Amino acid sequence: MEKIGLYLGCNIPFKAPDIEQSFRKVFPALGVELTDLPGAGCCPAWGTAPSFDLNTWCAVSGRNITIAEELGVDVMTGCNSCFGILSEAKHFMEKPDRKKAVNAILGQVGREFKGTSDIYHASNILHEVIGVEKIKESLKYQLEGLKIAVQPGCHILWPSDVMKVKEKNSFYPTHLRDLCEALGAEAPEYSRLEACCGMGGMRSTDVEKSLGLFTEKLRSIKEELDPDMIVTTCSSCFLQFDMSQQILKERGVIDYEIPVFYYTQLLALAMGFDPKEVAAISQTRRDGVIAEIQSEKRKINEEEPHGV
Amino acid sequence: MPAIIIEQEKINEAVKTIMDLGGTGILKCVQCGACSAVCPGVKAGFPLLCRLLIKNILDGRLEEIIEESSSWGCQACNRCTEVCPQNVRPQEVVFAFRRYQAGELAISTSTTTSQMNLYETGHAVYSESSKELRKKVGLPEVPPTSVGDAKAQKEIQTILEQSPMGELGLF
Amino acid sequence: MAKVGVYVCHCGSNIAGVIDVEAVRAFAETLPGVAVARKDLFMCSDSGQEMIKQDIRDGLVDRVVVAACTPRTHEPIFRAALAAGGLNKYLFEMANIRDQDSWVHAHDPVGATEKAKKVVASAIGKASHLKPLEDKFVDVTDAALVVGGGVGGIFAALELANMGHKTYLVEREPSIGGVMAQLDKTFPTNDCSACILTPVMVDAGNHPNIELLTYSEVDDVEGYIGNFTVKVRQKQTYIDWKKCTGCGACAEKCPAKTPDAFNSGLSNRHAAYIHFPQAVPKKAVIDMGACINCAGRTIGSEPRISKKTGEPIYAPCEKACPAGAIDRSLALDPNGTIRELKVGSIVVATGFKVMEKENFKEFAPDCENVITALQLERLISATGPTGGKLLVPGTVNKPHTMTFVSCVGSRDERFHTHCSRVCCMYMIKQARLLKEKYPDLSINMHFMDVRAAGKGYDEYYTGARAMGINIFRGKVGGVEKLPGGALRVMAYDMEAGTPIEYETDLMILATAIEMADGAKELAQKMGLQFCGNNFYRELHPKLGPVETSVRGLYLAGCCQGPKDIPDTVSQAKGAAAAAAVPLSQGKVKIEPILSEVHPEKCSGCGICVPLCPYDAISLKPYADRPRAVIDMTQCKGCGVCTSACPSAAIVLHGYEEEQIYAQIAALTA
Repeated sequence: MEKIGLYLGCNIPFKAPDIEQSFRKVFPALGVELTDLPGAGCCPAWGTAPSFDLNTWCAVSGRNITIAEELGVDVMTGCNSCFGILSEAKHFMEKPDRKKAVNAILGQVGREFKGTSDIYHASNILHEVIGVEKIKESLKYQLEGLKIAVQPGCHILWPSDVMKVKEKNSFYPTHLRDLCEALGAEAPEYSRLEACCGMGGMRSTDVEKSLGLFTEKLRSIKEELDPDMIVTTCSSCFLQFDMSQQILKERGVIDYEIPVFYYTQLLALAMGFDPKEVAAISQTRRDGVIAEIQSEKRKINEEEPHGV
Repeated sequence: MPAIIIEQEKINEAVKTIMDLGGTGILKCVQCGACSAVCPGVKAGFPLLCRLLIKNILDGRLEEIIEESSSWGCQACNRCTEVCPQNVRPQEVVFAFRRYQAGELAISTSTTTSQMNLYETGHAVYSESSKELRKKVGLPEVPPTSVGDAKAQKEIQTILEQSPMGELGLF
Repeated sequence: MAKVGVYVCHCGSNIAGVIDVEAVRAFAETLPGVAVARKDLFMCSDSGQEMIKQDIRDGLVDRVVVAACTPRTHEPIFRAALAAGGLNKYLFEMANIRDQDSWVHAHDPVGATEKAKKVVASAIGKASHLKPLEDKFVDVTDAALVVGGGVGGIFAALELANMGHKTYLVEREPSIGGVMAQLDKTFPTNDCSACILTPVMVDAGNHPNIELLTYSEVDDVEGYIGNFTVKVRQKQTYIDWKKCTGCGACAEKCPAKTPDAFNSGLSNRHAAYIHFPQAVPKKAVIDMGACINCAGRTIGSEPRISKKTGEPIYAPCEKACPAGAIDRSLALDPNGTIRELKVGSIVVATGFKVMEKENFKEFAPDCENVITALQLERLISATGPTGGKLLVPGTVNKPHTMTFVSCVGSRDERFHTHCSRVCCMYMIKQARLLKEKYPDLSINMHFMDVRAAGKGYDEYYTGARAMGINIFRGKVGGVEKLPGGALRVMAYDMEAGTPIEYETDLMILATAIEMADGAKELAQKMGLQFCGNNFYRELHPKLGPVETSVRGLYLAGCCQGPKDIPDTVSQAKGAAAAAAVPLSQGKVKIEPILSEVHPEKCSGCGICVPLCPYDAISLKPYADRPRAVIDMTQCKGCGVCTSACPSAAIVLHGYEEEQIYAQIAALTA
């Protein structure tokens, strides 16, 4: 069984622990053992150390990575921001001068960054290590006839030169579409597929500007696809789609809401896991679509059920 | 609009400040605007990002724009980096400018909460209500991270205390 | 003992700005063997050279050292001064204290001055031991080769032919014409490209002194200025060109299809095809890579016999040819034939290619309505896939809005740092032609900046603005694909300082000009070098723009760097003039800096024979045994044999052992 270090970050364990639970259910069932990284902290988020000092950023990121290095595993993140932060920090520390300066800091807490662990995103592991064929074989319910708008998020796409796993064309990404299609659903292109959702520093700096960008993206999704759900592999994008649809609805900007899932939540549901554990926290109502996914008519009839 | 007075010393100072803070590619910029064409921040209405921020720095106007909040609208999405034909890495320039602002405490008070969270729990985002949520989905109330790990918190605090962030008295 | 004259040059402030020239001169004066040591603001000036000549005439000096710029440009000048003064010109040595000293050590004047002293001392050491040498002359083959049949190659060939020299024009496509033949019209006069090029192609085809070798490639080049032996591979055409009349009947009947490179892949052509309607020579070829061997008629096989009629079954191309030029029963060699040419000089005019759109991920390269500017050129050409009608590829729709994107792959560290020079202008041309033809068409052009330096060019550009073409300064950053096939352009308006977004139906990428395929292989065969931008390097960027470091080899057109048609034609005519010099002189000089075997010392071991990179050494009987002999016409004076000879039997004139030891002694003193 493959083994990888599960790096939780902040949003997933504290705001959307059902995503964390979906990781803990789905990956082992697909043959990837998750090892906790005890004592790992914030990546650190863009608005913290990265906005103050480059070496401090690298030291805090480096500290997280050393936990994986000591356990001899690579790092898997579920949050795009964590993925971007850790990947870039590792990239900065490829320069010997930077590495030396950062290790001088880490030395004071008894750590040394070696650079032996690579950084992966959960979708990298799903797409490249596990693969769509294995996902298909593990399903208990198939999603045929459902239409998904995918939201890969920015930090998994750019800058591609710091990433181990790359999209063939990062401006028109396909990995998440492949993963959704593996469930039997339809996951077509739409024009603003690669566009930013407006979460992150922008939202905390000026929520109206953030909502403006979000509305534009949501419109492209609704008008071009009118999907049954939105599926993302970024916890920040998840929160934006989940929270901000409510705001737009209250303001009368939109008169609909589209259910939002983190990809592994949807996968867990399709594998037959309990929605109370893997898809239990959202502002946007998902009960209807969850019931639809786990309905009798979608059950895959095989003698030996996979996954659970 | 009053004319911008060009002074070589101010330009040198501004460029050096930004390069020292990590914006090492700034002098390679040819002002083509590709970065700003794809920047979600610029599109959302934060004018002084990417191309225009770089231009202001290259004109030596660092002090004049120190209170600009645009830089904090940067999503760090790095789409600019991906399309830049001169390998400027504009996002790194934007963050270098943020560091200049932060070093002068030209930051909004709202950002200080996350610094405190980071210092105290090791997590920039944290809330007590998470315990309830975690229990609800069948997970232990406290995840195996720094939040429940005094040694880990001490390590993070040691790193932060001696950093320029510590010197600013943020904690 | 030799009487060495030392002359230290200020080179204006190039040297004197860093190095203490007087200190170097005074130091030189103290060295043994130095008769006089002088300095001058510019040693290469008339007065500087006269100083040397006078010292020679006065009997003061019999060896000369000039401490100055570089032998690359100035050695011939000073050697000539020696000869004019009455001294053997090889009794000269140059000390490079500019390129290799003052320029690279500008930050350290003291150190640079000390280095200059050492370099000068070393040159004096060598000069004291120099021996007089005599130039050698060899006869020249009065014929020229031009490689590449684009507009540059055609003009180079015509010039040489008009001067009376037999000229071979080699082109790898079935017809000459190159990229210019693909163009619709040309800036800034809107001349029809075919109208001005076709007559010139015909002239080249009919010229009594020009022999066209199309569908041919250079296989191997040997020899030296005046006497090159070139092997040209004439690719297999599978059609007898002696019989082919260019009627095109074979192409009409051929059922096999493949993307038509002449139409930049926008349409298909048949496996049997004529390159393009105005082809010169107008001959058909069969592209075996695309041929499907109809009726089982693989090349060299006997036809099957029909059971019904008892007659042999032939392929459609064979049956169609009224001239009987196609006979698939013949066992034609797929490698074609090799033709050996003897020429005295060679002009390389191999042109360029434009980058394919697939390289540019941010511009939705998989979309049919994103095309390169060369593709647009075919789309608006009367001989193109739509007969000159502007249609969005893959549809029958006329675009409402179109977008031009400049600097795609040019001025971009990810691809090419150079400016491709012609894109701004050809985009403006395309936009103007389209606006004239379709006044309702909305045309948005995005430039990093508009480069319109050329006669009549800026007027052409400002005219485009006056025609109502929208010009934006700022690079396009990306494009999003809309349902239904349109595109959303994400650009930037530098003047307004804001991003721009709009929908467009057709996007044109002005992709970078880069070296043609096969350029590297040709460079290896010919000894050509590349410059930083991966074009062929000329001898000197200002003073030797058509020459190369290989004597007898000249450059014309885009293979030397991106340029437009007027510049290509000018350079082609210049290259032809330079290439004609050795042919007209009838003899070429060979510098005596060559290796020579002392047969009495040679043991005949033969170690040197395989080491020689120029195959100049052979073993020939001498007295009782075979010994090494060097062919001076092949030797390049590299010294490999000299250093490898275990018997120290080979001397490299101008770099003899005692000369080099004297240099080392001076440097380590």
